[in-house]
Amino acid sequence: MMEALSFEFFRNALLAGLLASVICGVIGSLVVVNRIVFLAGGVAHASYGGVGLAFYLGLPVLPVTAVFSTTAALGMAWVTLGARERADTVIGVLWAAGMALGIILLDLTPGYNSDLMSYLFGSILAVPASDLMLMAGLSGVVLVLAGLFSRGLLVMSFDVEFARSRGVPVRFLHFLLMGLVAVCVVMVIRVVGLILVMALLTIPPFMAERRARSLAGMMLLSACLSAVFCVTGLYLSFALDLTSGASIIAVACLGFACSLLVPVNRPKEAA
Amino acid sequence: MQTPALELKELWFAYDGARVLDGVNLALPAGEFLAVLGPNGGGKSTLLRLLLGLVKPGGGSLRVLGQDPGQAGGCIGYLPQFTAVSASFPITVLGAVALGLVRPGFSGLGGWLKASARSAEREAALLALDRVGLAEQAGRRLSDLSGGQRQRVFIARAIVSGPELLLLDEPTASVDGKGRQELMALLARLNRDMTIVMVSHDMSTVDGCVTSIACVNRGLHHHAESRLTPEIFAEAVGVDPAGCPVELLAHGPVPHRVLLDHDHPDCCGGAHRRRQGDQGPEGAP
Repeated sequence: MMEALSFEFFRNALLAGLLASVICGVIGSLVVVNRIVFLAGGVAHASYGGVGLAFYLGLPVLPVTAVFSTTAALGMAWVTLGARERADTVIGVLWAAGMALGIILLDLTPGYNSDLMSYLFGSILAVPASDLMLMAGLSGVVLVLAGLFSRGLLVMSFDVEFARSRGVPVRFLHFLLMGLVAVCVVMVIRVVGLILVMALLTIPPFMAERRARSLAGMMLLSACLSAVFCVTGLYLSFALDLTSGASIIAVACLGFACSLLVPVNRPKEAA
Repeated sequence: MQTPALELKELWFAYDGARVLDGVNLALPAGEFLAVLGPNGGGKSTLLRLLLGLVKPGGGSLRVLGQDPGQAGGCIGYLPQFTAVSASFPITVLGAVALGLVRPGFSGLGGWLKASARSAEREAALLALDRVGLAEQAGRRLSDLSGGQRQRVFIARAIVSGPELLLLDEPTASVDGKGRQELMALLARLNRDMTIVMVSHDMSTVDGCVTSIACVNRGLHHHAESRLTPEIFAEAVGVDPAGCPVELLAHGPVPHRVLLDHDHPDCCGGAHRRRQGDQGPEGAP
């Protein structure tokens, strides 16, 4: 591990992984308890259109993708406002449309795009310091917003009907949550690639949900689990010369399987 | 004179042009325990959503606690249908009850509470839990509780803000028989302090435990009696009075239920106010 840490690219990768862990712990928990995993998947894949657009226009990829996927997410939030469970078809369409747009734009872009695969499968070992700064900034924004509206997000996540009856602005919170998901997705694309975004957003929160006693606790626990998966996966990818994104997810899946085998211990009711 | 809890005049509501509620009139005095019965699709849930201000009426007037619906949010306790909450949500019993204190509008979204406000919320939540008989369970995870206990937690969440009106949507669904009786006894106790409107399709819980019954099937008929008469029963299930909804009879010692006599003093612990001069034949076929 010490040997690996002497390389700057590995230190950057580690930092990127830890930042992504924190953000996935917070947003992934909200995604899982709000049962919008499919929506998050739609945003993740539609954001590929943003990657294509950035290449086509010759602009920096991360900011363009951030704007594009936030727009896509707010569009999906609007579609799902009325009847969340009825909107899955529209999400499927946006999901496919975003990916197709990305690929067509890349086709239209002159030159050979060797970087293409890195956005599908992640390129954590090639994260430049500038992207790291941007990621840190985005994490800060997401954490501040989530903290600022934490009570509302908790009330909505727990029981939408009740929140609505109490006059909590559920529409606003729904848009806010989708916006946060979009920002989170853009960050995690760098780390594990958009194909594997879903795993990092869902596996640690799912493991944490069964053991935590509060939403905040669930976020903390899943951030810690994510961090362990990222560090372990990165080290394995370095030591065994494997694809980093796939290694991280492989470790996460292994952890997931282990957590299913270990029973959840809770004090039983006395009376 | 006291402000009526509910005042509905010529109210109607339409989905896609089809009126699901039409010509609804109701004046419910404060302190009543009203059961809203009716066939599926008859407009019970729509009526509840109108009272909560979640949908706007097509026409007619509607006053809740003397105010426009949606304005009385702070004075209304609401129990949504059981299925709305994920069973595995990571939250303690106390935490779930405290969520009933969330303020309406954007001021309620903030996560940072002063220590004094936090302990005041805690105290109010514990008090509400005590009223539903679950004070000892305050620190447990909500998902570890039984269905009946969880329903009582949600009632505690509905009453934690000290409402004048309690709206319940199918409170006894997914609660077993013993839990049902406990739940109805609890509601009868709460009825001493607040008006209760309960949407239900579970006739067995209604009989004798409420002070009046409203049958909703596009229109609304308010019966000022606490007992199911064959007429109310027929209206509530949407069949002809001569029809019988019982489809199966079994041999042997099948557990069954016979409704109490009209003037029996001991229904729901006798906690509710009794109406004198009930008329009509027995509800049991």
